[in-house]
Amino acid sequence: MDLQISNLSKTYPNGVQASKNVNLTIPVGMFGLLGPNGAGKSTLMRTIATLQEPDEGTIMLGDLNVLTQKHEVRKVLGYLPQEFGVYPKVSAAVLLDHLAVLKGITNSSERKEIVEALLIKTNLWEDRKKNLGGYSGGMKQRFGIAQALLASPKLIIVDEPTAGLDPAERNRFLNLLSELGENTIVILSTHIVEDVKELCTNMAVINKGEVLLTGTPSEALENIKGKIWRKQILKDQIEQFKNTHNVISERRSAGKPIIHVFSDLQPGEGFTAVEPDLEDVYFSEIFGKKATVV
Amino acid sequence: MTWEIFKFELKYRWKRPATYIYFAIMFLLPFLAAAWDQLTIGGAAGQIKENAPHNISFMMLIVTAIPGLLLAAGIMGTPIIRDYEHKTSSLFFTTPITKYQYLTGRFLGSFVTALFVFSGIVFGMALGHLSPWVDPDKLLPFSLWNYLHPFFAIALPNLFIMSGIFFMGGALSKKMLVVFTQGVGVLVLYIISSQFISDLDNQTTAALMDPFALGTHDFVTQYWTVAEKNSQVVPLEGLLLSNRLLWMAVSLLALIATYFFFDFSASKKSKKQKAEAKTNDDPIRIASSTIIPEVTQHDGLATNIKQMFGMSWFYFKWIFKQVPFIAILTAGILIMLSNAQNWGKVYGIFRLPTTYSMLELIQTFNLFFIIIIVMYTGELIWKERDVKMNLIYDALPYPNFVTLAGKFFAMIYMFIALLSILMLTAIGVQVMSGYTDFQIGLYIKTLFSDTLSFLLLFTFLGFLFQSLTNHKFVGHAVFVLFFISTLIFGQLGIEHRMFQFGSTGLGSFSDMNGYGHYLPTFSWFNVYWFGFAGVLFAIALLFSTRGAETGFMMRLRKSRLRLTKPLLTFTLFSIMVFAGSGCYIFYNTNIKNEYTNSKETEKSQADYERTLKKYQDIVQPKITDVYLEVDIYPRERDFEARGTYQLKNKSDETISQIHLQYSSDKNVTNTVEFGTDATIKEAFDKFKYYIYELKKPLAPGDSLQMDFVTKFDTKGFVESGSNTEILNNGTFFNNFYFPTFGYNDGIELGDDDTRKEQDLPEKERQRERTDPIGLAQNLITDDSDRLNLEVILSTTPGQIAIAPGYLQKEWEEEGRKYFHYKMDEPILGFYSIVSAEYEIAKDTWTRENGEKVNLEIYYHKGHDLNLDRMMKGMKNSLSYFSKNFSPYQYRQLRIMEFPRYRSFAQSFPNTVPFSEDMGFILDIGDDDIDFPFYVTAHEVGHQWWAHQVTEANVKGNAMLSETMAQYSALMVMKETYPTEMMQKFLKFEMNSYLRGRSREQKKEQPLELVERQGYIHYRKGAVVMYALQDYISEDSVNVALQRCIKDWAYRDDQYITSADLLGYFRDVTPDTLQYLIKDMFETITLFENRAKEATYSESGDGYLVDLDISSIKYRADSLGNETPIQVNDWIDIGVYGEDEDGKDKILYLQKHKINEENMNFKIKVKEKPTKAGIDPINKLIDRNPDDNRMKVSLKEDF
Repeated sequence: MDLQISNLSKTYPNGVQASKNVNLTIPVGMFGLLGPNGAGKSTLMRTIATLQEPDEGTIMLGDLNVLTQKHEVRKVLGYLPQEFGVYPKVSAAVLLDHLAVLKGITNSSERKEIVEALLIKTNLWEDRKKNLGGYSGGMKQRFGIAQALLASPKLIIVDEPTAGLDPAERNRFLNLLSELGENTIVILSTHIVEDVKELCTNMAVINKGEVLLTGTPSEALENIKGKIWRKQILKDQIEQFKNTHNVISERRSAGKPIIHVFSDLQPGEGFTAVEPDLEDVYFSEIFGKKATVV
Repeated sequence: MTWEIFKFELKYRWKRPATYIYFAIMFLLPFLAAAWDQLTIGGAAGQIKENAPHNISFMMLIVTAIPGLLLAAGIMGTPIIRDYEHKTSSLFFTTPITKYQYLTGRFLGSFVTALFVFSGIVFGMALGHLSPWVDPDKLLPFSLWNYLHPFFAIALPNLFIMSGIFFMGGALSKKMLVVFTQGVGVLVLYIISSQFISDLDNQTTAALMDPFALGTHDFVTQYWTVAEKNSQVVPLEGLLLSNRLLWMAVSLLALIATYFFFDFSASKKSKKQKAEAKTNDDPIRIASSTIIPEVTQHDGLATNIKQMFGMSWFYFKWIFKQVPFIAILTAGILIMLSNAQNWGKVYGIFRLPTTYSMLELIQTFNLFFIIIIVMYTGELIWKERDVKMNLIYDALPYPNFVTLAGKFFAMIYMFIALLSILMLTAIGVQVMSGYTDFQIGLYIKTLFSDTLSFLLLFTFLGFLFQSLTNHKFVGHAVFVLFFISTLIFGQLGIEHRMFQFGSTGLGSFSDMNGYGHYLPTFSWFNVYWFGFAGVLFAIALLFSTRGAETGFMMRLRKSRLRLTKPLLTFTLFSIMVFAGSGCYIFYNTNIKNEYTNSKETEKSQADYERTLKKYQDIVQPKITDVYLEVDIYPRERDFEARGTYQLKNKSDETISQIHLQYSSDKNVTNTVEFGTDATIKEAFDKFKYYIYELKKPLAPGDSLQMDFVTKFDTKGFVESGSNTEILNNGTFFNNFYFPTFGYNDGIELGDDDTRKEQDLPEKERQRERTDPIGLAQNLITDDSDRLNLEVILSTTPGQIAIAPGYLQKEWEEEGRKYFHYKMDEPILGFYSIVSAEYEIAKDTWTRENGEKVNLEIYYHKGHDLNLDRMMKGMKNSLSYFSKNFSPYQYRQLRIMEFPRYRSFAQSFPNTVPFSEDMGFILDIGDDDIDFPFYVTAHEVGHQWWAHQVTEANVKGNAMLSETMAQYSALMVMKETYPTEMMQKFLKFEMNSYLRGRSREQKKEQPLELVERQGYIHYRKGAVVMYALQDYISEDSVNVALQRCIKDWAYRDDQYITSADLLGYFRDVTPDTLQYLIKDMFETITLFENRAKEATYSESGDGYLVDLDISSIKYRADSLGNETPIQVNDWIDIGVYGEDEDGKDKILYLQKHKINEENMNFKIKVKEKPTKAGIDPINKLIDRNPDDNRMKVSLKEDF
């Protein structure tokens, strides 16, 4: 079962075009949707999650039309929005149980079983009776995934789940995601390249509502192999290099700027070729369109 | 630095649209109230002008209290909270400003903003009054001072008081809900104090306790006359000043507390967060080995219903955990309990805490119900979005209706819980008063039908507003606007219950008649409104927000997709229910019955006057004999009366036309037939007025028979004002349902303001005392002088039917019960017909000559608590009046209870219908006034004062019947009960008189010219007559009355006036006291008596009291303008000691000639004096009765 997005377009009343003729095929497995803030990831995710209408296009989940058969889609959907809150004075166990009912798990013993399992799974068992108001950001995020996993969904959408988590929490969270079933479509949107690198079998890079790239991470790496160059420069040279070269990223090493440049050929003196990583793929897709100019 | 923060705050506020919206509210409301008749705040009416200073300050108080409270909370509660919410607090706290600078800057900035907002009141009201279209007759010359004084004396302090309290709440808790809860608290204090202020003993405390000074304002001006209200600003002194100072001190304390307890460091919270974040660092191994079990996912209607109830339960628990909810609930219960302290009190006496009375007590919670509905429909609709879980919820597989219906049921659970709590509270009140007849069934029936349906209907409305506006506060605002619009709708003539959302018209409950005939109306209107609510629900559902896009157009687009088949079916079904029941209701209220709104009714009254006034004084024959057969059908609420009048031309003119006026009651139809040929010459069907031309005119002295059939036919149900006289149980009506003769000026509009709207000239309330036409009519009717009465009544078996007269025969025939009554002497043309299921209490009273008079009380089963008091009232009255006035003219006297829809007792010949509410259900304590005894004595008094001595239909006539009945009752009470009880009673009478004249709308009359002004002929009458008999002796008054009766009893050629009565009083009054007649009856005379200083010293075997008094005597005109006049009066000087129980005991009480404003008295008493004063028992009318006596202190030797 694939998720098939065809010719999807959406323009908000304020003129922002959040999706431009998006076409994606998302197979079973973990799918990374990579893009900077404001790229249109959340719009796309919300549209897939039945929460928003596109202006044009279709989304099919297997034979289900996501845009018209919302109820059917929701039955097999697990959704963790980018930002969400909780009832501060309700415990995790109670709220999860409540959401389970709304998910259609009306048999109380089954519900009890799955709520317990998910709380253990997300490592919230110890704190299940604690009010959610006292949860840390990571715990809250794990609660979020717990609710998304209710009733073994076929399609799981997690929108920027690692934003704002400290490294330990992030790790724990990604571990949790990685365990999700092989029969499930998991769409993970993120602006953190590491997330995709560690988890995803397929990916897409999206910016300003447009899909810039799709494929597996290894294909993506293959594409730019030998085109990424690195140079350590002086602080005041940055602007100069930006004008002359196709700088896709700048980092610092021991306080000194290092730039990565996208180029088919050796871009100049002092540049060394580097083995590209996903981050380079990402930045070259987003900032690297000028590549052909050189 | 403070200055910088202040400026920052001001700039911020200046940019906020809210500031201007708030200003607009505070401007518009007073503006509209001042400039537009359809919206009234305050009490301008009649002679009190719209811009009277008293009215201005009263309006200002209301505006600062009701919308003001909300706005003050919004402005003053927010500044600190805002910094926390925007997370700018830490920015501030790390800059080098001090806590003091930060808090004062924020406070002052907000306060100045609030001041700007509140200043709208002054501009709004002043401009409103200056608007060119306001009727200049309703205005005084403009004076800015009249606006500025109350603004600075009352409104500004109110703002400061609220500001301090709300600023503290916001700063210390950082939660807006706490601020609103404080607001509710302030409101509670106000409501409690306003309850206590009606209790004569707790007024001072209550006046101080009121945070808005609304009750205080009312209290300090309670005796103000029209003239004072129009001319004086309420001075900032006395209780009002104390109240202001007290509450400003409270506010100041709150601000100081804010400074001390406000935590001015940013670090604390983050520490706490870190500590929590640490708690769960080590992932537990088993987590990854746990397998998530497969579960069955259900779908379909059964599942959805389960989900809906799951949701309801979840939200129900959530509501009950809310601090504001608990606060409102507590506040409501507190108010209920506080109200219970004075609930249903009359003359300081408790009514029995019957279940229906407790249900009425529960209605005091209605305001809180409204607050809860407005708040929590908003909270629930917004809950997921408020906690930002909406996207999670919205992506779950349940249909839309689950959320909305789930929340609706959560509200239902909440209401059921609330109503149960209120019911238990009410039962608690009953238990505490030792009352155990709980009537749980009635509680449940009423609360869970009437109250619950009202709550549910408004919940639907709240959901609709929230769903359509899609903005919580706008939703609230629309709700509030809705309430305001309903008020205006009514003013515009759209008053039919079918347009008053949620109005179902369940009338009051009576033990006798239950909910009676109100039930069908109630049921049908409920069906109607719930059908309507179903449509609202469907609309709310269609437009409810689900998903990430919330624009109205987007929802409109989606709504088409949402109109699923089940929803469409539901909507159509609701529309059918709504329309179907609507048709049925309309058929009943407007087709079977006639419906007119109040403006149309007023117009029709005015038309009546314009068309027929010309016939007012035409000569008509008088009824001399009445024979009646009346069949009463209580179950159908019908009656049919077949009657015969014998008419006699008592004038010296020939009468050729008979003018018939039928009852204006729309259920009544009539047919008449004259004993001679007569044709209808002119018919005014609209007014039910018919002019018959007699073929053979009626010569002076000639008689004519008239037969008539009057049918009263209750058809279906009416919109409102259902007849409360012809009932399933407890029918009581009088002869004015039968045909009357000539123009009836009682139909005319009485209120001058309304008359002006209808272009009619102002109207005198009664005929002048010298008007020959008025003098030739008695107080009851000009259709007859005295007449002979014979009545045969029939009713259903099980009920007893009663009319004036002696029972001749009683029988059953064809399943109906018959009673034949006959009077053996002529009576006034005023007779009652009563039918109900009765128990009977019987007794007799023996005349001096040994003849027995039968006494009977017909009462509703179980209402036997005060029968002895009423029986004693009858006996003692008959004895006293027979001995001191004249013999009792009848051989029987009966009291009949009737349902509490009407609250009075009325004296017909030997027959006294007596409301359920007036004495049957009073719980009289040992020290209480014996109210049933008093009412009985008053009504028995009317057997003399009305039925023996009958007054003319002119000004001052109520001084005959009512004031003399009051005097009669007072004397019987005086004879039966201790003096303290009399004084207690007279204190109530004095208070009622003084408050009554303060509310006079036309003109206050002296007693001898009273024109149907109850506060004068009952209240002032009682006070004055008690004083008169104190001055000239009871015997002298009684001698005067005996002479009066001797000359005037049973006359039907001429009727007595107050001038005649005063003649008898003059005759028995010594020359030195003749001035009393003028002071008491002919003028409005008041005293300002005061004890100024009182000391005592021991002297010989006793004590010498040295008393300084002052006495000012005033004459007041009809508007209450007072002129001091020379005092030259005999006034009591009294000295009190204490008896063993510590109660006051009179040591000295003598009348002294007071002829200077300031005088000194030295009085020797034997026992130790405690108090002394002038007119200490308050026999004279005095607006400050409490300063008449004071504590006596030991004289200090120098």
